[in-house]
Amino acid sequence: MAAIWTVLLLLLGTLSTPTTANLEGDALFAFRRGLKDPQHVLQSWDPTLVNPCTWFHVTCDKDNRVTRLDLGNAKLSGKLVSELGKLKHLQYLELYRNKLVGVIPKELGGLKSLLSLDLYHNNLTGSIPSSLSKLTNIRFLRLNSNRLTGRIPRQLTKLPNLKNLDVSNNDLCGTIPTSGSFYKFTEKSFENNSRLQGPELMGSVSYDIGFCN
Amino acid sequence: MFSLYSYYLLLLVLALNTSQYFGNMETEALLKWKANLLNDSPSLLPTWTTSNSSSYFNKTTTPCTWFGISCNNAGNVVKLNVSNLGLQGTLLNFKFSSFPYLTTLNLSSNALFGTIPASLGNLSDLTTLYLAVNQLSGSIPPEIGNLKSLVDLQLSNNTLTGSIPASLGNLSDLTTLYLWGNQLSGSIPPEIGNLKSLVDLQLSNNNLSGTIPASLGNLSDLTTLYLYENQLSGSIPASLGNLSDLTTLYLWENQLSGSIPPEIGNLKSLVDLEITTNNLNGTIPASLGNLSDLTTLYLWENQLSGSIPPEIGNLKSLVELVINTNNINGTIPASLGNLSDLTTLYLFRNQLSGSIPPEIGNLKSLVGLVIDTNNLNGTIPASLGNLSKLTILSLFRNHLSGSIPPHIGNLTNLKDVQLSNNTFSGNMPQNLCRGGSLENFTAAFNNFTGPIPKGLKNCSSLVRVRLDRNQLADNISEAFGVYPNLDYMDLSQNNLYGELSRTWGECHNLKHLSLSSNNISGSIPSELGKSTQLGKLDLSDNHLVGEIPKELMKLNLLIYLNLSHNELTGQLPREIGSLSELEHLDISSNNLSGPIPGEAGKWSKLLYLSLSCNIFNGSIPSQIGDLISLSILLDLSHNELMGGIPSEIGSLRNLENLNLSHNMLSGNIPSSFEEMKSLLSIDVSYNQLEGRIPTNKAFQKFSFDAFKNNKDLCGNVSGLRACDSSGTSKSNAIDKHKKTGYDTLLIFAGTQLFSITYPAITHFTRVLVT
Repeated sequence: MAAIWTVLLLLLGTLSTPTTANLEGDALFAFRRGLKDPQHVLQSWDPTLVNPCTWFHVTCDKDNRVTRLDLGNAKLSGKLVSELGKLKHLQYLELYRNKLVGVIPKELGGLKSLLSLDLYHNNLTGSIPSSLSKLTNIRFLRLNSNRLTGRIPRQLTKLPNLKNLDVSNNDLCGTIPTSGSFYKFTEKSFENNSRLQGPELMGSVSYDIGFCN
Repeated sequence: MFSLYSYYLLLLVLALNTSQYFGNMETEALLKWKANLLNDSPSLLPTWTTSNSSSYFNKTTTPCTWFGISCNNAGNVVKLNVSNLGLQGTLLNFKFSSFPYLTTLNLSSNALFGTIPASLGNLSDLTTLYLAVNQLSGSIPPEIGNLKSLVDLQLSNNTLTGSIPASLGNLSDLTTLYLWGNQLSGSIPPEIGNLKSLVDLQLSNNNLSGTIPASLGNLSDLTTLYLYENQLSGSIPASLGNLSDLTTLYLWENQLSGSIPPEIGNLKSLVDLEITTNNLNGTIPASLGNLSDLTTLYLWENQLSGSIPPEIGNLKSLVELVINTNNINGTIPASLGNLSDLTTLYLFRNQLSGSIPPEIGNLKSLVGLVIDTNNLNGTIPASLGNLSKLTILSLFRNHLSGSIPPHIGNLTNLKDVQLSNNTFSGNMPQNLCRGGSLENFTAAFNNFTGPIPKGLKNCSSLVRVRLDRNQLADNISEAFGVYPNLDYMDLSQNNLYGELSRTWGECHNLKHLSLSSNNISGSIPSELGKSTQLGKLDLSDNHLVGEIPKELMKLNLLIYLNLSHNELTGQLPREIGSLSELEHLDISSNNLSGPIPGEAGKWSKLLYLSLSCNIFNGSIPSQIGDLISLSILLDLSHNELMGGIPSEIGSLRNLENLNLSHNMLSGNIPSSFEEMKSLLSIDVSYNQLEGRIPTNKAFQKFSFDAFKNNKDLCGNVSGLRACDSSGTSKSNAIDKHKKTGYDTLLIFAGTQLFSITYPAITHFTRVLVT
């Protein structure tokens, strides 16, 4: 039984099961498996190919490493999987305007090349993982219009290249940091969070006074 | 004599009473158990009833005629066989003590749940116990070890947990032990090695951990050992080499480490050895070459190192040799050519070096030769043309060179030919697809020259073709035909010429077509619009002329369209807006003219747009502001666009790079540009723009080059003249935001009014500032 299975799988293409294929392709395929895709945007995601670089909505660099994942507006539902954190060369993670649920996996903090994280307009819950503070190259962090709760991790103020932050339209609590890279953000980045208070006043009031569970 | 007669009569009465006694006990127990089943009904086991009892003694009932029951000559139940009846219930109210003569208990393939009672251990005559394929849970009771007559024990395919009891080692007559397909944990008890009669041991598909006990090497009658799909660790014990009757050894999907012990080479009866997906290291022992009955050798997905021992070539019965995904180095031994029954040779993803030995061509049974992703060099031996059964030839990602032997094209069973990422040269074999079964042909990233193989024209089986990055030179007008199953075709970066054939439109499954960077001429055939599954179409960097056919706009699944760097003329058809899935559009560097249609605003998923280096005229339509997904680039540069920059462009919140340079745009840079919070670069140079550049901090970071050569732009960027100041100074960002927006709106409105009413005023007119 095992022999027949193995030979069948090996004969499917140049490579065998997804576990022996390209690690980045495996990670993306693990993501695909947890999603409902009514518009078949992931139909071209063939795990038998040597790498995912010819899959639609995936862009690679010249060394065949995934740099972009463009799945905005694709009517996808399901969860973000921790395997997405393995895409070490990913620069753009575009998953906005879908129906994604569940939490933002802390493993996304491992995406050390990430320039843009766009998860806005989904149904994500849980809190913003503080591990996102490891994304030292990140320019655009847009998590608005979800159902995120908890505090805005203070460590995010240390992100040196953060140009654009939007956490509006969530259910965040605590206070709005204003130090570090956050000084340039206006209230528009934080609005419509009924339990979010701020901005923090430097010096005169202690931090994290805001009501938070 | 009378007393003798009465003595015998007494004995008879006693005997009958005894059987009556046992008959009653067994009947009662069976009926009680049946009554407690959840799906008990008159239709279930209908023969299990006392209503038809008729016997000499009123109370005697024997179940021996009931379905599934067999009795011995004395009328005792010896076999109970009620498998596959959908029985739903537990074993808790099965009174095993009522069946002292039972030898066979088969309750398998039902829906029994609950635990296995310890009382089962009292059935001392039991030889066969089948409880497999149920939903039994809990642990295996150690009392099972008391079943001293047991020969065949099958508890497989349940949800049993806990450890395997060491007491099972007492079952000295046991020949078959199946515990597979449960959730058993803990280690395999070494006592299992005491089962001196054991022939078939299957513990696979559990959560067993710890090491494989060396005592298993004592099971001298063992023919089958299945331990796969567990979490076993440690090394494979050398003592397993003593199992001289072993035919099948499956240890795959565990965490076994260490080397394969050379003693495995002593298993003279071994037919099937599979140790895939473990953490084995060390070398493949040469002693494996002694396994003369071996048909299957699977060692893939480990960290084996060293070379393939030439002794493997002695395995005269071998059918499948699969050692991929290891760290094996050295050369492919020529002795492998002796394996005349070999159908499958998979050595891919290793570090094999040297050349492919010509002796491989002797493998007359070979179906799959997969040796990609290694460091092989040299040429493909001509002898490979003798592999008449070959279906898969996979050589990609090596350092192979030279030409492909032409006889490879004669192999009629070829389905999958993968040659990419080598340094092959010369012509491709011309009669490829001779048998009409070729599906995947990839030869990208090589130095192939000459024509497209003639055999591909009528090769209607084609699914995936990659010939990109070579130096193929051929007329593509006639080289290709109709391919109903073709999904992917990439011919880019070659020296192909001629015109695009209409037959591409008949490839109704084609999803990806790239012909970029060739010398293709003529126009784009309108028939291409019939290939409605197309997702990606790249014809860039050729010499295409004529207009973009309207029919192309019917490709409503198109995600990526690149027609750049050609000599296309004419206007953009308005139907272009119907490409609703478009994410990337590049038609730059052509001779396209006319206006940019407002329908362009319908591309709601567009991320990248370049129309640069054409002769588009008229003004930029305000609908460009509807491209809400636009992020990577908006490039309209090097055209003849005029009029003002629509303020709607400011709605492009995600846009990172904007290039409007080298046009004839006039008026101001809309202050709405301050809304473009993602903007990393801008270029509006070489236009007729005037007025103050947006005042927010982000804009001040752009350099002079972004704004130079305009009519009269002013602002706080070095190189630009300072604007005349008036009005209030700016306060800090947070509470100022709304006010700034309002003021900007007023100013903008005021500016427009001004320029409409007084068009003749010189370009030194001041703009009102905040």
